[in-house]
Amino acid sequence: MSQWLEQVIDRASEVQDWLGPIRQKSLAELREQRWPNRRVEAWKYTSLTPLEQLQLSGSDKATQVPYDQIAGLESLDLVFVNGQLQTDLKQCSLPAGLRIRNLSEADDESGADLFADIKPKRHLFGLVNDVLAQQGLIIEVADGASIARPVRLVQLCTLGGESHTRILVRLGEKSRLTVIEQGEGQDPSLSTAFAEYELGRQAYLEHYRLSLHQAKAVQLGGSHFRLLEKSQLNSHLVAYGSDLSRLDVDIEHAESHAFAKFNAIYLLASGETFDLHSTIEHRVPHGTTEENARGIVGDRAKAVFNGRIHIHRDAQKTLAELNNRNLLLSRRGQINTKPELEIYADDVQCAHGATVAEIEESALYYLQSRGIPRSQALVMLNFGFIQELVNQMPNRVLGEWLQVRLKDRFRQMEVK
Amino acid sequence: MLKIKNLHASVEDKTIIKGLDLNIKPGEVHAIMGPNGAGKSTLGYVLSGREGYEVSEGSVEFKGQDLLEMDIEERAREGLFLAFQYPVEIPGVSNMEFMKESVNAMRKKQGLEPLTAAEFLKKAKEACKQVNLPLDFLKRGVNEGFSGGEKKRNEIMQMILLEPKLCILDESDSGLDIDALQVVANGVNSQRSPERSFIVVTHYQRLLDYIKPDFVHILADGKIVKSGDASLALEVEKAGYAWLGDKSKEAGA
Repeated sequence: MSQWLEQVIDRASEVQDWLGPIRQKSLAELREQRWPNRRVEAWKYTSLTPLEQLQLSGSDKATQVPYDQIAGLESLDLVFVNGQLQTDLKQCSLPAGLRIRNLSEADDESGADLFADIKPKRHLFGLVNDVLAQQGLIIEVADGASIARPVRLVQLCTLGGESHTRILVRLGEKSRLTVIEQGEGQDPSLSTAFAEYELGRQAYLEHYRLSLHQAKAVQLGGSHFRLLEKSQLNSHLVAYGSDLSRLDVDIEHAESHAFAKFNAIYLLASGETFDLHSTIEHRVPHGTTEENARGIVGDRAKAVFNGRIHIHRDAQKTLAELNNRNLLLSRRGQINTKPELEIYADDVQCAHGATVAEIEESALYYLQSRGIPRSQALVMLNFGFIQELVNQMPNRVLGEWLQVRLKDRFRQMEVK
Repeated sequence: MLKIKNLHASVEDKTIIKGLDLNIKPGEVHAIMGPNGAGKSTLGYVLSGREGYEVSEGSVEFKGQDLLEMDIEERAREGLFLAFQYPVEIPGVSNMEFMKESVNAMRKKQGLEPLTAAEFLKKAKEACKQVNLPLDFLKRGVNEGFSGGEKKRNEIMQMILLEPKLCILDESDSGLDIDALQVVANGVNSQRSPERSFIVVTHYQRLLDYIKPDFVHILADGKIVKSGDASLALEVEKAGYAWLGDKSKEAGA
């Protein structure tokens, strides 16, 4: 048991609120948990040392932190700073069919639901979030409602700040919604941000998780999706790395004929770590999943990709594809990629692949020999395959905003 | 234009160029011939600045500046162009994007505004026409799936677009049939001018029937062992390179 975890348990024991019984249960589980070391498969390549060494002084909760609005996106922005919701929900005029409540005012069944169904079973930090999260949102879309305005959740972490938040999003039957989860921070800080999504029958969710923590900002979080019949998920992840950044994305085909698309882009600068574990559960027949993860890994940076697809015995006629492509900018960069297929049904189509490539010197030389500066040549040669995924984002305003940021970041990354 | 003095260069610690001298004035066309392994391609790579090609001795002056001090892209922007023997394929970057960035990099150096997409397209279309490349080659990945002849023509197309001061053609004739050879030669000849110089590197005399050189140099074992006018190429054609065995020793003595 680590000192860090002991402190969490001590702190959690002091939390008194109506969620008590739920927290007690998680707390009990947490006491049973072993601190993951490198021998634990799920943490084999990612060290938790940066978390244990993190000095959190506590931050001024009243701090007003500026954040970027995205021009032309017309999003409904809900802003958290160090885990505290800054936006006054009462001041938000919501479109018909959309309901958003703060956790603190949802002391009924739905509030309990928020904590009921997370999948912490193999994720220690889900439990940590269970016992520490005091802020969160419940977002509900009524049956048949089509919400044009994207809901953007911005979570900022400042120096010494700690943020533990929980989001529950429920889409009613045949409803449509776009959610953008955006996290940012660079100073020493800790964020655990978990979001649960339930897609009702024939519902459509467009989802973006922009995990833009970098440098000293530690983040541990996840997005979990539960797909009911004929629902469609179109999800896009963009991640930087930091001293420690780990995301778990789980997609569960709970009813048949659902469709899930999940694209992930990670762009790691010098010395950063990013760990993505994705798990796709096909429990029922006729489900489709398309997963594409692509990353560029800088000098001494480390990427971990574990892509698991589990096709249960009854999940006949499943179509599942998983692809992971990586580009190393330096011999000292590291990529640990592992596609994991577990298939118990016999009538399925399932494909997977993973590649790691290095910069091709001859191509770089060719472009330079035509007068193109090296830095620009690198962008031309290597940005293409990331750009391909950016181009697949249905929201073009967001896609273009991201493209500029990604290109800037890439330009600053050194090739060795 | 170009002054090479006592150039020594090596690749992976193996010395390939061993004391090469060459002087090229504006408007001149120099042919460099020689057997395989003489250092013909190495010379092109050294002049263009390719990584891994180390200059251990000697100097190269290009338009009065020290060429060896410049980065690869600086040399190109100063007007040095190398048409590659084996141009690399770059899927994912279109020929169009590639050439537009190149042309604009040159223009920036000259203090000119970048070309708009429409302006560039117009120029690119003309250049394609000159070397007989279909327009859809602009949209394809750089050299991706091009035949040997198409790659060579693509190189000449780039040369036409970039308007360099010194063009080094590294075996631009190899692997071409007679029609393709003519297209390449015509492309080159259309670019000849009193301000532009050429180094035509070739194994065979054939290309020089179409591109008339002012000087011919024979390169053997990293040095120029004989220089002359166009008639020297014909001599080589008749006698082959076998005689060089003794000749290069003589020159070294």
